[in-house]
Amino acid sequence: MAVIASRRPTERRVLLTFARRNALWGYLFVLPACAILLGLVAYPFFYAIFISFTSRVVGDPGEWVGLANFRYLFGWSSFTKAVRNTIVLVVVSDILKLVIGLGLALILNERIRGRGLFRSFMLLPWAMPAFVAFLTWRLLFMPIGGGINLLLSESGLYTDIIDWLGQRSTAMPAVIIATVWRGFPFWCISFLAALQTVPSELYEAAKIDGANAWQRFLAVTLPSIRQVILIVVLLSSIWTANSFENIWIMTQGGPSDATMVFPVLAYFGMQSQRLGEAAAVSVAMIPVLALLVIVVTTLMREDEA
Amino acid sequence: MTGDSRITRRRFLGGVAGGGAAVLGGGRLAEALAAKSAPAVIQGGGKLTYWGGLIFSDEANQLLVDTINAWGKENGIETEVVMINQNETNQKVSAAVESGTMPDALDMGLDLLLLLSNTDQLVPLDDLYDRIGQAHGGWYESIDASASLFPGGRTGIPFGSSGNLLFSRRDVLEAKGLTPPPQTWQEVSDWSAQAQDPPLYGMGFALSNVGDGNLQISVLQSYGGRIADDEGKTVTIKSEETREYLQWVSDAYKAGLFPPGVTTWDGAGDNQAYLSGQAIFIANTGSVYLTAKEDDPELEAATHYAPLPAGPKGRISPINPNFRAIPKTSRDVEAAKALIEYLANPEFMEAYYNVAIYGPVLKGYEGFEVFTNPVHSGLLDLVKNGTAPGAPDVYNTAFADFSANFIVPKMVQRVVIDGVSLDDAMDEAQQQGQAIYDKYK
Repeated sequence: MAVIASRRPTERRVLLTFARRNALWGYLFVLPACAILLGLVAYPFFYAIFISFTSRVVGDPGEWVGLANFRYLFGWSSFTKAVRNTIVLVVVSDILKLVIGLGLALILNERIRGRGLFRSFMLLPWAMPAFVAFLTWRLLFMPIGGGINLLLSESGLYTDIIDWLGQRSTAMPAVIIATVWRGFPFWCISFLAALQTVPSELYEAAKIDGANAWQRFLAVTLPSIRQVILIVVLLSSIWTANSFENIWIMTQGGPSDATMVFPVLAYFGMQSQRLGEAAAVSVAMIPVLALLVIVVTTLMREDEA
Repeated sequence: MTGDSRITRRRFLGGVAGGGAAVLGGGRLAEALAAKSAPAVIQGGGKLTYWGGLIFSDEANQLLVDTINAWGKENGIETEVVMINQNETNQKVSAAVESGTMPDALDMGLDLLLLLSNTDQLVPLDDLYDRIGQAHGGWYESIDASASLFPGGRTGIPFGSSGNLLFSRRDVLEAKGLTPPPQTWQEVSDWSAQAQDPPLYGMGFALSNVGDGNLQISVLQSYGGRIADDEGKTVTIKSEETREYLQWVSDAYKAGLFPPGVTTWDGAGDNQAYLSGQAIFIANTGSVYLTAKEDDPELEAATHYAPLPAGPKGRISPINPNFRAIPKTSRDVEAAKALIEYLANPEFMEAYYNVAIYGPVLKGYEGFEVFTNPVHSGLLDLVKNGTAPGAPDVYNTAFADFSANFIVPKMVQRVVIDGVSLDDAMDEAQQQGQAIYDKYK
């Protein structure tokens, strides 16, 4: 007994040392990722926030100006319009991408002929460079010689010229259509992947219980892919809120700020090399995006719970 | 058309102009030129980096590259020429300034020269400026005024001048008994009403948030409107003269004299409209001329080129000079100066002007044969009789920021798109303009 008792503390020391060593190795492996995150994400992020409180221009670090850049920004009529337009663009695009993406995913998840071909074709808008895609849409929406007006007049549906991008009532819808067209494949392919993980037994059980197709969709499909939907909504919302090419190529924020959004407004600030102001525009977006991230992650945690 | 939009056109037309054979020919010419003229002073050594402004003529771009490289070879200096898309010059220079990787010398427009001069990024070049001026007949007054705008001396050496000319469809106008050019903006709208036949519209002028849209600043000024006072500090856009201008443009828009889409045109909007037969009048620096000459000689022959029309208070036709400059971080300022001085030699400049659409900056260049063709002669006329950048307003950083935010085209958009009253549109522009000017007080 005495021998055994005397060996126990030594064993514990060895075990503790092993655990500590294990932990140290863990920290060591995590260190590069932390360094990269700090250097490439945290530092630029907080530095941008710092710059937004300075009068920095290119070649001159400027000085601390407190909230002056934000006061200037909030007094700018284009800023108010950019806030509203960005929200409209993100919300409407997300809803349409959800409906189209999920609808197509449900169809492509069925055993239909040429399913592989359709899946490949469906990815084309996503694979196309944004510049080419939005330039093509700009050409399609051109009032004279544009494909859409040509289609309307040739089919006899409407013979007058519609200035799609040049009037307030149609400019934002036109931009949304182009944005949805380019973005829905990501939604569709994500939903398709998620749908393939739903166990077929769940559908069979629901059928036995007498659930019709719509009820099966609501009770089985949606809850099963809810996590994926939330992640896709989050990612796509951030991408759409930060998207520049769609607006810049199609309307440059016009007419009369009807399609002005945050990134285009920040670009105008950069043109004057006023880095403080440009940073303030970007920083002003953070609370909106942060709110979205919090809402989505909370919903996801609820699901996990 | 302003500098910004010209650049966009260059992108649009980038694939059109130029040819391989001519480029090779340019290379031989560059070597011959380098052998002919030796630089004044060479000190230091090592690699000299030059950022050239990419323009729509491949021949002109290649000629610049070959000439600089040949000059380097001749003088035992390793050179590296990087041609920068002028749409991206601002961003690339901003990044280079912040990271301390500016080239030894570079091309730039007036706006960037102003911004970099104000932050003390450039080497003063008064001595070089004077020496080049004396060697080549002296600088034109308008060019001299542009180069002397900034406090702390001249920091850029002009090498070419752009500016808008009024392109008119002579065939269409003469069929209606009208002989171009129209003398006033009012005549432009009146003639448009008489001669247009949609889809051929009269007034192919952008009213959008691109550089072309800022042509409207010049039109406003020709009506007597001003952006700011003589000190360049207090915005004075709300005035009876501005109201008169807004009324004119609004009436023309309501009468359907502008092609549909002008409020969201990009920088190539007027090019496309004119070349596709949708506009009788456009304002252009010459890219349309080059394309029409190449692809549609009938249209080129049917086009009349003239200075911009006058308003009730005079003709505002601003020149837009381009400069070569040396950053203070240059590793060999003397070599960079010698290169810039060399590039001003008439042999190179004549060859360059032959393939690039620029007006002359030095009086010694006036005799070049190229300045007898329609567009080049128009640009020569502009250099002689045009107005200084921004004039009658003060061209300062506030004015440049005001222009970069497209306050005047947006004011017009508020009237023609949103239907707000002229007074409300002027009030908004006044308030936004003053907020910009206040930042620079």
